[in-house]
Amino acid sequence: MKHSRHISVEQMVQDVSTIHSLPMFYSQLSEAIDHPRSSIADIAKIISEDLGLTARILKLANSPLFGYFSKIETITQAVTIIGVLQVRDLALALSVMDVFSGIPESMVNMEQFWRHSLATGLTARLVATSQREASLERFFVAGILHDVGRLVMYIRVPELALELLERCRSTGELLYRAERDLFGFDHADVGGALLRRWKIPARVAQPVERHHLSQMAEQYPREASILHFADIVAHALQIGNSGEQLVPELDSAVWERLSVSCHYLPTLVQQVDSTFNDTVQVLFRSDASA
Amino acid sequence: MAVVQIDNLVPGMTLKRNVTDRSGRMLLPEGATLDTKHFAIFRMWGVLEVEVAGESEPEPDEPQQGGEVDPELLAKASVEVRRIFAYNDPEHPAIRELTRICIKRKAAHEA
Repeated sequence: MKHSRHISVEQMVQDVSTIHSLPMFYSQLSEAIDHPRSSIADIAKIISEDLGLTARILKLANSPLFGYFSKIETITQAVTIIGVLQVRDLALALSVMDVFSGIPESMVNMEQFWRHSLATGLTARLVATSQREASLERFFVAGILHDVGRLVMYIRVPELALELLERCRSTGELLYRAERDLFGFDHADVGGALLRRWKIPARVAQPVERHHLSQMAEQYPREASILHFADIVAHALQIGNSGEQLVPELDSAVWERLSVSCHYLPTLVQQVDSTFNDTVQVLFRSDASA
Repeated sequence: MAVVQIDNLVPGMTLKRNVTDRSGRMLLPEGATLDTKHFAIFRMWGVLEVEVAGESEPEPDEPQQGGEVDPELLAKASVEVRRIFAYNDPEHPAIRELTRICIKRKAAHEA
């Protein structure tokens, strides 16, 4: 393998993971959740301290997409009804969106970037629902985070990243392949490394790391497969833009393993289209100020 | 005999085989005549396709909706969608279906 530019995945995320760190509150939350003696009230209290986040979690939990049976009015209810880990996953998805700001518009339009991520998250969640998977929020959050590696590249090696974008625009290559060609790894590897540094659980970090190489996701093959497919659907529908202009190649072995019927696809697309705008409103509400 | 996608079912069709949900629970026995109320039940239980008697290969894809969409838009959408799918195998069933959906969706958006 030739590495024309010598930078490793670890070097790529080293500074970025400290400068662009998750809000303190997320680690507090994780700590509280992992602590054997913390109660639901403790956890709810930590979340409630961030008012903006609280409002967004509640809105999201009450949106038709999530379809929980009763109306959820307080964080305590959310934690009880949706589950502690699920609320943490939602909090993670929402807080990561605020972490990366200040990347020049010439590199990436953040709104378009998150629209693509959100479309992938929604699709992953819908596919997971149809597959009768449990804890759906991890699929949603993995979708939201699946391309963060690209943001790291934009911050850490902006010239090279821009060069890659231009190269793909003129040659019509797939961006993730061009990344591999230039660095020896792609944005999925970088994203995985960043999430591990942030101490995000492997059930989210590994699918992100392997969403272009789902066959190599040893621990979480189903999650990685669903994410791989959801990414392709989001690209196919051309919702948002993460830098990649074309639809990544569907791994047919992954498709076989998913056992999704082709007849499900029209329903899936319809569901994505009908929930996407509502969810955008919930998630991007505070983005105007950020 | 044919497997028909739930969206393409028409009331009056006769079931060729029992319809079951994912866990194998029977929803409707073979020989039953379908009516619209059943479609709602199928949807509720996540049934995507059923086997019906008598139908030949169902190809009712375009007729109902194809008429509304301007063929010119459809052709333009088709070129664009096929371009972004350049790295995928057009013969793969999932890609074929996805391409079809995307072309229709894109043309409808631009109409």
